[in-house]
Amino acid sequence: MKTFAVARNVLRRVINDVRTLALIVILPLFFVLLYGNSFSGSYRDLTIVLVNQDNGLASVRTAEVGRITLDVGLAKAFTDALDREMFDVVEIEDPDEAAARVQEPDVWAALVFPRPFSNAVVNEAVRASGERRVIVDGDTVTLLPSDPIEAPLTRLVIDDGNPLIASAIRGAFNEAFAEVLASQQSSVTAETLLEVEALYGGAIRMLDFTAPGIIGFAMTLITVMLTAMAVVRERTSGTLTRILIAPISAWQVTLGYTLAFSLIGIFQAAELFLASQILFDIRFIGNPGVAALIIILFTVGLQGIATLISTLAKNEAQAMQFVLFLLIPSLMVSGVFWPLETMPPTIRPLSYVSPLTYANSSLRKVMLMGGGVGDIRLELAVLGAFALVMLALSVLSMRRQGYTA
Amino acid sequence: MAGEQVVRAEGIQKSFERRIVLNDLSLSVAQGQLYGLAGSNGAGKTTLIRTLCGILRPDKGEAHLLGWRMPSSRVRSQLGYMPQDFAVYEDLTVLQNLEFFGGLYELRRSQIRGRADELLDLVQLSDRKKQRVGTLSGGMRRRVSLAISLLHKPRLIFLDEPTAGVDPKLRRTLWNDFNRLASEDVTLIVTTHMVEEVLRCHVVGFLSAGRLLTEGTPEEILSETQTSNLDDAFIVLQERGEAKR
Repeated sequence: MKTFAVARNVLRRVINDVRTLALIVILPLFFVLLYGNSFSGSYRDLTIVLVNQDNGLASVRTAEVGRITLDVGLAKAFTDALDREMFDVVEIEDPDEAAARVQEPDVWAALVFPRPFSNAVVNEAVRASGERRVIVDGDTVTLLPSDPIEAPLTRLVIDDGNPLIASAIRGAFNEAFAEVLASQQSSVTAETLLEVEALYGGAIRMLDFTAPGIIGFAMTLITVMLTAMAVVRERTSGTLTRILIAPISAWQVTLGYTLAFSLIGIFQAAELFLASQILFDIRFIGNPGVAALIIILFTVGLQGIATLISTLAKNEAQAMQFVLFLLIPSLMVSGVFWPLETMPPTIRPLSYVSPLTYANSSLRKVMLMGGGVGDIRLELAVLGAFALVMLALSVLSMRRQGYTA
Repeated sequence: MAGEQVVRAEGIQKSFERRIVLNDLSLSVAQGQLYGLAGSNGAGKTTLIRTLCGILRPDKGEAHLLGWRMPSSRVRSQLGYMPQDFAVYEDLTVLQNLEFFGGLYELRRSQIRGRADELLDLVQLSDRKKQRVGTLSGGMRRRVSLAISLLHKPRLIFLDEPTAGVDPKLRRTLWNDFNRLASEDVTLIVTTHMVEEVLRCHVVGFLSAGRLLTEGTPEEILSETQTSNLDDAFIVLQERGEAKR
């Protein structure tokens, strides 16, 4: 009976605490909705550049009439077979320009079909299957195998900075090739037709790809939790009021907090980077100074989030719940595990307001691709603006908490 | 002794969630006065102190400290405040607490050390200087809090229940020291729910249900209520107040 009394008391306290009750009810539902929506599994609007030099013709020996020319247009058939929801296809003329454009942030791959593409595929198919009867202009002709044709391979230049997207693109291309080859009853596989050139030489593993986001998330979790708890404790113990009665402005208090926790954040980041490199050989080819700049801006902004959380939370337990309520969704929508490109448009606005999106994206560019300040201008601008706005809101929040504690 | 009015409150009204906590309250305290604010629990003492200090904004009325309308940042360096909660860092030592708050008042490290020795002697915690506050008893933490509020030698000091949980001998010492500070022209407003304690104050205000029942010297109050001690005087005045309502 005493056990029930204790349990009843705990539940009564939870029910009396409206915020905790709301979090208990809403949090699981919120996570499920977000998880289900944020990972749709399908990619959208990936830009690829295509150069179609294929003349569409195949010259094949026949038993009846010597050589005939078939107009099969296989490169075009490939293009038509691509999933148009997944790809935005940009067709250009120059193969070198196509390969160069893969360096652009929004272009994921370039595919260059050589002039004798159709010819090579059809002859290869006939050679592999032996004689084959087909109807041409109403007459049945027997296609005969010819000597292997030395045709250049189709060139695929792919941005493998994001292994998930690179793998999805190759999967989609293989499907389209398979469709085209099936139309020719060919046993040839797509892989034998392709000359693949990966931008990063396949050096970026899934572990490397997720590491910047995980490091960013670990920093977020620890920094926000530490700061929010510290401010709540400062307020509930009365020391914040005591501080604000002294000749010190809310600005100075906020900056003091920011300075202390930024130092802790930077120390943690250094520890995370070092440990991940030493223990798991995580790729880090960029400038550590640039990574530090990202971390500083990011950490300052996180202080602000933490201070705002502490305004809403009546006690440390509530602060912890608010931290989880905000941070776990940020992990889901910030492109840490699955690319933003897979997210439905309804969820993407959440990605764009999550600072982790920009920290993750910029750290990825620096760590994995050796990017410099110029490559992460947008992310630095967003993180800088985020830090300033959050700092200003923290001051207001600090003042309010000090005077209403 | 009575100099300029360093505390002046007029028509202060403050409510929390529609419950009136301070009701049209006015008071004034002259420089060098030891003003005792006594009242039962929930009478509004802490709310009054916090409103006077500028921590809370009154719904109506206004408060002036040292000539400045509150809230004002201009009086902060001359203001000492000891809240009812301990408001100390439990994870720091006694000395570290004093060093931090001393720093906020721009005291030099050597000044803080000197003042810390004096004040810890006063609150009888000299031997606990390097002990973490979290390991001290409740009464000792309150004494640390008192030391912090006196650290920067403020001209005007608000002490909210400074003697709660303090043993009788030390309580007497503290009241002696409050009187000594007042004799040095420092103004003190001290709250207590132990009415008899304010016998040692120059001026006493009795607070009940957010209203000031009376204000005067202990002798004046005893004479007005025809009682022999302040406890009885408070009860008489409280009953009169209730009868009026």
